[in-house]
Amino acid sequence: MARIELEGVEKRWGAVVGVRDIDLDIADQELVVFLGPSGCGKTTTMRMIAGLEEPTEGEIRMDGELMNGVDARDRDVAMVFQGYALYPNMTIFENIRFPLRMRGVPKAEQTRLVHQAAGMVELGEHLDRKPGVLSGGQRQRAALARAIVRNPSCFLMDEPLSNLDAKLRQAMRVQIKHLQRELKTTTVYVTHDQIEAMTLADRIVIMERGAIQQIGTPDEIYANPSNAFVAGFIGSPPMNLIEGRVSDGMFTAPGIAVAANGIEGDRDLTLGVRPEDCHIGPSDTHLDGAVFAIEPTGDLTYLTIKAGEDLVEVKADRGYRADLDAPEHVAFNLDRLYFFDPESGIRVR
Amino acid sequence: MASVRRSRSESLFIRYLVLGAWALFCLAPVLWFLSIGLRPRTEIITPQPIYFPTFSLDAWHMIWEDWPMAKYLRNSVLAIIGSVVIDLVLAIPAAYSLSRYEYRGRDDIGFYILSTRMMAPAIVAIPIFFLFRNMGLLDTIWALMLVYAAINMSVVTWIVRSYMLDIPKELEDAARTDGASDLRILWEIIIPAILPGIITAAVIAMIFAINEFLFTLLIASTPDAYTMSVALANFTGGSDGVIYNAIALVAFIAFVPVFVVVVAIQKHLSRGLTMGAIKG
Repeated sequence: MARIELEGVEKRWGAVVGVRDIDLDIADQELVVFLGPSGCGKTTTMRMIAGLEEPTEGEIRMDGELMNGVDARDRDVAMVFQGYALYPNMTIFENIRFPLRMRGVPKAEQTRLVHQAAGMVELGEHLDRKPGVLSGGQRQRAALARAIVRNPSCFLMDEPLSNLDAKLRQAMRVQIKHLQRELKTTTVYVTHDQIEAMTLADRIVIMERGAIQQIGTPDEIYANPSNAFVAGFIGSPPMNLIEGRVSDGMFTAPGIAVAANGIEGDRDLTLGVRPEDCHIGPSDTHLDGAVFAIEPTGDLTYLTIKAGEDLVEVKADRGYRADLDAPEHVAFNLDRLYFFDPESGIRVR
Repeated sequence: MASVRRSRSESLFIRYLVLGAWALFCLAPVLWFLSIGLRPRTEIITPQPIYFPTFSLDAWHMIWEDWPMAKYLRNSVLAIIGSVVIDLVLAIPAAYSLSRYEYRGRDDIGFYILSTRMMAPAIVAIPIFFLFRNMGLLDTIWALMLVYAAINMSVVTWIVRSYMLDIPKELEDAARTDGASDLRILWEIIIPAILPGIITAAVIAMIFAINEFLFTLLIASTPDAYTMSVALANFTGGSDGVIYNAIALVAFIAFVPVFVVVVAIQKHLSRGLTMGAIKG
């Protein structure tokens, strides 16, 4: 088990900055998810923790011990990769045994531990097969077994589920969460899927362009996004971001007029409102527009309303139906409105 | 519908016809020298072509009984296998370094290795002769091994490198976090994963080595170091004149093992020969 600290960590390749000034303290047994779009630096940060990349600046510590310059094989971490990274020439048994063999675990103990790990991911029947004949889900479970077999102090998981189909992804997510709680091993998990992040994480670290945008529990990040990027990244569908102007305590944009929650002055602002905080209502509400698209999903209906040039997403009841271009009115939940500076994206309160 | 089916079968027929004609064109010389090797000398140079020659094992008996052909064959096999082993032992780590590590001058070193294949062999023939003479290796199989290995090193390195580039980096990262050293990764992960590429490179090196003539002629001056390719030249002089049926039979004996191996691994071989065409 391990506490992981990153202090002023940066990674540069010449003029290209991959990761800038990362400060992060991951508690023992915690499951932290790095979330962000492609190229945001989340995988690079994880690779630096693994020892597969050396930070250009800053310090990485595990249980207080400085890890800079320590080779990946000498750090007590196990990594699970997006492409499984199972050794194709070895059977699943040999794959799972590999880290034990590299660390000189006695042979009899190796066999016992391999069967134990395979049992935990329900892979006991496939131990004599080569990775090539297994399904994606089985391969990912084999990769998990290889990671857990030697009881490392930290798991690093780099988008481990992104090659699986939606149904399997959900099942594996549950399995990973259960395993992490059972083994009580500090885990760093990288993903660009915000549902994965929300459902798995004790804390989420949202990254963009190599920098941390916000750190918090899933609830904190959802309820209190610190900037427009985080607000737009978390939530499915994402938060509506509408550019407009505040004056005399009212936010206005084409088709929209709503109280600005006590924000004074006369300035351009971006209004953020989540689709679930928009309610179809009678006329004379906060938004008047026309139906642009309707997407029934079974349990509810996604409705897109065009107000001026903005498209505003609304979660409506499952039975909601309307003609295209029909006028529609929406009331916002006034307690759940967010305002952001249109230039910097920083939240304005 | 019927006309579509007919035109498809016609197109298939034309394809087989063209491929058959091409196969015949390629194989005709082989069949021809086999036929020459298995007929008496009197039926080789004749004013009129002989379509159905007399079957004769004269040349077969001659090359094994009158000439130390077994020795030439042994020399060939030892020199070629030795050279391929040297190539693989040196080229695999070199290819790993060129394909995986970042360091100053890496691409220049890669190009230098490749460029050794670009010059005409005759340019280095005399320096190599003096080099081996000073080392006391002239007329030995050791010298042949070293020369063949040097000639083929660039090709083997680049073929192996092209296969290594196709191995996902994740595999090595996984092995590293699992606790493996670089050497372990190369031995336990990379080499088994690119085994078809290594076999391909070895076979290509073997073919080049079997066909090598210039340096062998230069280095080997007695039957102690003669190989099959130089032995062929022995049938062209002396009081017996040019012994065509013996030449043809020795050429055929040298051809068969290569042919068998190439057919066995042809799927991988085509990939090896086009290496660099898609991924550099």
